[in-house]
Amino acid sequence: MSRPGVTRREFIRIAGTSALAAWPAAALAGAPDQATKRTDSGPLLQVALVPCPDYGPETLAAAIRTGWASSRPPDVRGKRVVIKPNMVDVSPDRPIHSDPRLIEALVLHIGDLGAREVILAEGTSHNRDAEDLFRRSGYEALAKRRGIRLVDLNYDDVAPVKCANPKAVALREIILPATIATAEVIISVPKMKTHKLAGITLSLKNMFGVLPGMAYGWPKNVLHWNGIPLSICEINATVKTHYSVVDGIVGMEGHGPIMGTARKAGVLVMGDNALSVDATAARIMGVDPARVDYLAMAHKIRIGSLRRDDIGIAGGTIERVRTDFVLDPEFAQLRASRGLGE
Amino acid sequence: MTNPRLTEALAFIKARQNPDGGWGYGPGRASLVEPTGFCALALHSGGDAAVACRGRAFLETCQQGSGAVGINSKDAGGSWMSYAALLAFHGMGATDAEDRLKRWVLGFEDASGRFSKEEISIVATRYRYDASIPGWSWTPRTTAWVEPTALFIIALRKSGVPASERRIQSGIDLILDRRVPSGGWNFGNPYSKSFELEASTMSTALALAALGAADVPEGRPAVRAGLRFLADALGGDISTASLAWALMALKSFTSGAARVAGVTARLARLQADDGSYRGNMFETALAYLVLSDAPILGPVQGGKR
Repeated sequence: MSRPGVTRREFIRIAGTSALAAWPAAALAGAPDQATKRTDSGPLLQVALVPCPDYGPETLAAAIRTGWASSRPPDVRGKRVVIKPNMVDVSPDRPIHSDPRLIEALVLHIGDLGAREVILAEGTSHNRDAEDLFRRSGYEALAKRRGIRLVDLNYDDVAPVKCANPKAVALREIILPATIATAEVIISVPKMKTHKLAGITLSLKNMFGVLPGMAYGWPKNVLHWNGIPLSICEINATVKTHYSVVDGIVGMEGHGPIMGTARKAGVLVMGDNALSVDATAARIMGVDPARVDYLAMAHKIRIGSLRRDDIGIAGGTIERVRTDFVLDPEFAQLRASRGLGE
Repeated sequence: MTNPRLTEALAFIKARQNPDGGWGYGPGRASLVEPTGFCALALHSGGDAAVACRGRAFLETCQQGSGAVGINSKDAGGSWMSYAALLAFHGMGATDAEDRLKRWVLGFEDASGRFSKEEISIVATRYRYDASIPGWSWTPRTTAWVEPTALFIIALRKSGVPASERRIQSGIDLILDRRVPSGGWNFGNPYSKSFELEASTMSTALALAALGAADVPEGRPAVRAGLRFLADALGGDISTASLAWALMALKSFTSGAARVAGVTARLARLQADDGSYRGNMFETALAYLVLSDAPILGPVQGGKR
């Protein structure tokens, strides 16, 4: 657990608000500018919404090609690309981790585009036995099959980087794994899930897993004491995710991110701005992104935008694929009314 | 030493010592306290004192004025990895460094004193454990968890601190309090609201090894249930480190003895052609120490409650 219950939420709100007040958008001047990438007169940001009914290899390959082409993907040619899945734990009964079949399709796609190296990297949060989890998740077999490196970020070589938030306290200096610090392209591949402490977990929250457990503990408890929204924002303002692919083919609802139940949404959400991808995925889940503490905070510090008007949706409408996920009762207030999703 | 291939493990470790005297988790990687502590202990145990002493010297450069040891020499705050330094200092006779580190470990502050009564009550309702019990956390002043508490209990007991010591007793209480009702331990949350969370092999093995080191009777229901969980887990696929810690746990209890030979053989079979375990310096040293019955990871002698 982190800071507990109601007190935790009050603490989060207090800590988050005060920290934010002292953290103007200009503070991100030295950090990746993730909100000012208007390239034409169209929407500020672009997100691809790709119906994908199952994990069949041909279905996945086609969906990734479509989503990649209709968003603003990074140029991966000649680059070292790190794929960061979500693997807080593994269960044969519950869809906790990003599906390896999706990861494999993405690895093949990036390879076809000419990436110099593809690395699959994760720093598990609860169970630090990565050998066991990599095996049970199917990631080890995938890495062997495709000849890519599989890295346990919890025990990687580390390098400190200065946090983008000049008022940061616990994360004033963020200790990053060398694999992340030297990546030329980072692709976050989260599972579409509810979360007992954060409401929902998607691409931005997935980046908790890049911080090494050997420095931050398991379950990355320093980040919890720092406040979950603030930690998410400080990490994502400092480490840029170049592209996100949300695995919403089968997600998790209820008491996520571990003990929830499977929920099929049949969709991939893809894009270069993690906040906009998350906001879109949240709307698909029937969640108003502006009510999610960390998404609202990320918007305010210009990690991107969650405003519907700023996000161009390619591939269909949110309403067509909207699948209301059962929320943890503690986060019932996140539910969007019908129409808000658009 | 009954397994001649164990000398190959030592050779693997010795050949990959960094110029600063330490070892990283992988060959050629930056030196860190946990792999260095175990590699130095393995070489010391194997009779290669000179190389081991260079490892000990690296650990001493990681010790702060407070006695704390972090993950490396640049980490001033102290961390969970200091358990490995304590084992190494004790095993290699670095008395002054050991005493200073021991004092720091015994004074280690987790978050138990930071929780309000309301927070403790909420934790008791939601996660069904007692957050007021002091244990050890991965980093100072954060929440205590099962594995760091177990690792520090093991290190303190091996370095001669009696099981009756207040912090060790509190750590035992924490481990017993955090047990998963159906058997075993996970990282430290038995429940999440109404959901019982699953135990894991590594957490269970470490918890049992700590309870054994602290002379907790194996008749205790939590110990019996933990040993049952471990026996079931050993029936399936299991990682190298978990297998090594499980072997240490089994050696700690009389009822585990029947499984020791089988687990020993199973762990020995995981050794690679180059002498290592998965090419991992820490796992290679850990496997060497438990397979060679090195006293530093063997049953605690004396000082029992």
